[in-house]
Amino acid sequence: MRHRTGPPAASDGAPLVSLRGVTRTVRILDAEDLHVLRGIDLDIHRGDRVAIVGRSGSGKSTLLNLLGLLDVPTEGGLFFEGADARRLGADERARLRGSAVGFVFQQFNLLPGRTALDNVMTPLLYAGGRQFWRREKLAAAMLERVGLGSRLRELPQKLSGGEQQRVAIARALVRGPRLILADEPTGALDLDTGAAVMDLLDDVARETGAALVTITHDVSVAARSQDLYRLDAGVLSRQVVPA
Amino acid sequence: MTAFVASVVEAFSELRIHKTRVLLALLGVMLSVAALTSVVALGTMAQAGLVQSSERTSGRAATLGASVYSATGAVDTGSTLAAYDDVVERYRIGYSSVRLDTSLSIRGPAGVVAAPTTIIERDYGVMRRLDVVDGSWFTEVDEQRLAPAVVVNEAFHRLVGSPDLRSAPGLTIEAETPVSATIVGVLADDYAEAQPQAFLLRGQAEQWDLGQDQGIPPALELWVPEEIADALTARVQGDLASQLGAEAQVYRQDYAAQGDPYAVVTLGIGGIAGLVLVLGAVGLLNISMVTVKYRVREIGIRRSFGATSGRIFFGVMTESVVATFVAGVAGVMLSVAVIKHPRVESFIAQGVTDLPPFPVGAALIGIAAATAVGALAGLIPALVAVRVKVIDAIRY
Repeated sequence: MRHRTGPPAASDGAPLVSLRGVTRTVRILDAEDLHVLRGIDLDIHRGDRVAIVGRSGSGKSTLLNLLGLLDVPTEGGLFFEGADARRLGADERARLRGSAVGFVFQQFNLLPGRTALDNVMTPLLYAGGRQFWRREKLAAAMLERVGLGSRLRELPQKLSGGEQQRVAIARALVRGPRLILADEPTGALDLDTGAAVMDLLDDVARETGAALVTITHDVSVAARSQDLYRLDAGVLSRQVVPA
Repeated sequence: MTAFVASVVEAFSELRIHKTRVLLALLGVMLSVAALTSVVALGTMAQAGLVQSSERTSGRAATLGASVYSATGAVDTGSTLAAYDDVVERYRIGYSSVRLDTSLSIRGPAGVVAAPTTIIERDYGVMRRLDVVDGSWFTEVDEQRLAPAVVVNEAFHRLVGSPDLRSAPGLTIEAETPVSATIVGVLADDYAEAQPQAFLLRGQAEQWDLGQDQGIPPALELWVPEEIADALTARVQGDLASQLGAEAQVYRQDYAAQGDPYAVVTLGIGGIAGLVLVLGAVGLLNISMVTVKYRVREIGIRRSFGATSGRIFFGVMTESVVATFVAGVAGVMLSVAVIKHPRVESFIAQGVTDLPPFPVGAALIGIAAATAVGALAGLIPALVAVRVKVIDAIRY
């Protein structure tokens, strides 16, 4: 099955990701099934700024995994650039994820023992053609963009939390994703550093026209979004963005 | 193509990052391969030494020994030798030699001694893999000498005062008319307490009538291809019997006549080598499994950035195979350094004049085994890595 791999035209209005009646159920041995997500409907377009809030265990990360093609729904439809994710094989989803989705994690998840440059080059190992062969140049340029041009050869443990998260952001963006998924990106940072990181994420998302979906507990982070959703016991509801 | 190059780049990067762990893991593989290669090499060289020793004693595969006898009396030596010559010519035997074990009285510094002497033809040296330690084996020129040429063993050489062969040392063979002979070559003793032994060419023995009057019937040795040995045995036996009107006995006398006598040795070496290899493989597998567990989170992160399960599998396998290949080469080099060490070599070379070189086969087996171990030890961790659930792995 062919799926669109290029960015959707701005004028076509088609959602980048679309969830229709999505349910995610986890089977638990000797216990009732756990319904992590129930009847989720959600459309995300290019350029959208979406925040999802909710208590721990409400299903936020599961929703993020679905949006990032790391998981598939138990029921319902998940369409990524029009392609039905449930009909894609694991490797097709991996390739689509690599080219279209960038992840930023709460704990940064930088690869230990590798320099900042090596970490940012990692996603380019799974890219084809020019991106792979020019990986060092692209990674260096992206680190320059996030303000770490002078720390290319530093190991993660030599960087501050904010710097590590900026390396993670550079890594998430180096392949030019259409969708950036940030899971509590400021959760491990102090307020000022968190704000700086969010400024950076907003800026680079705006520059590239990528959609930014952020899962957060932080009201100030949620207030930056255009659309705010709350997940409660697996049910998604739209909220008013705080001023 | 890009994906393949990227996988190799990734594998090398991983090896570089985890160099301490990799080195420790590979140290075991390298030592296992060195042990395996050394065992195979030592076995092969020892076996080659045994074969050489056997060839000196009874000839190369396939050597046919022919002799004739009569129940009614002695068979005429001249007729027997003529019949042997006919056989060699009729079947166009490439290497052959008459063999007549006799005894000659030799006058030396210590007086006259009776020296066991074997009358042979030039081919005998090649057929028995006889290597001289001084001088040379009989050449065509020696057949034309005006005085008989003699090749002796080291014990004989010592008996006559260890003369320098460059001075063409002479000795006197006691006969009706004493004959002056020249020592042209010295053979290594087969064992430490070897008895003095001399060799004389058939043509010169006939010319000077040496050693042929002792009633011992001459034998004939033929070095023939193994595939025709059986057929030729029957034909030669029939020919000699009918030609001489006597009983003829022809049989394979080389070490391989009853099959490979060193098969048990080979099997034993193979068993030990296999055991060494299994121990190395288990050690590496253990480390590889621990490593994959340690890298679950990393694998999850890579998958989140688009690594397919195929890439993860290939990456883990490539790391393992590349690393063990390098360890294999290092192990083989270590093995060569040990085996070719003069002290080790002299130990292996006891009683062997023509020491075989380090067997290429052993080196290839070592490298192939290392690579196979890498593939096997990489396979299970690679399968585990592929089954890693991305979501769980990232949170690991």
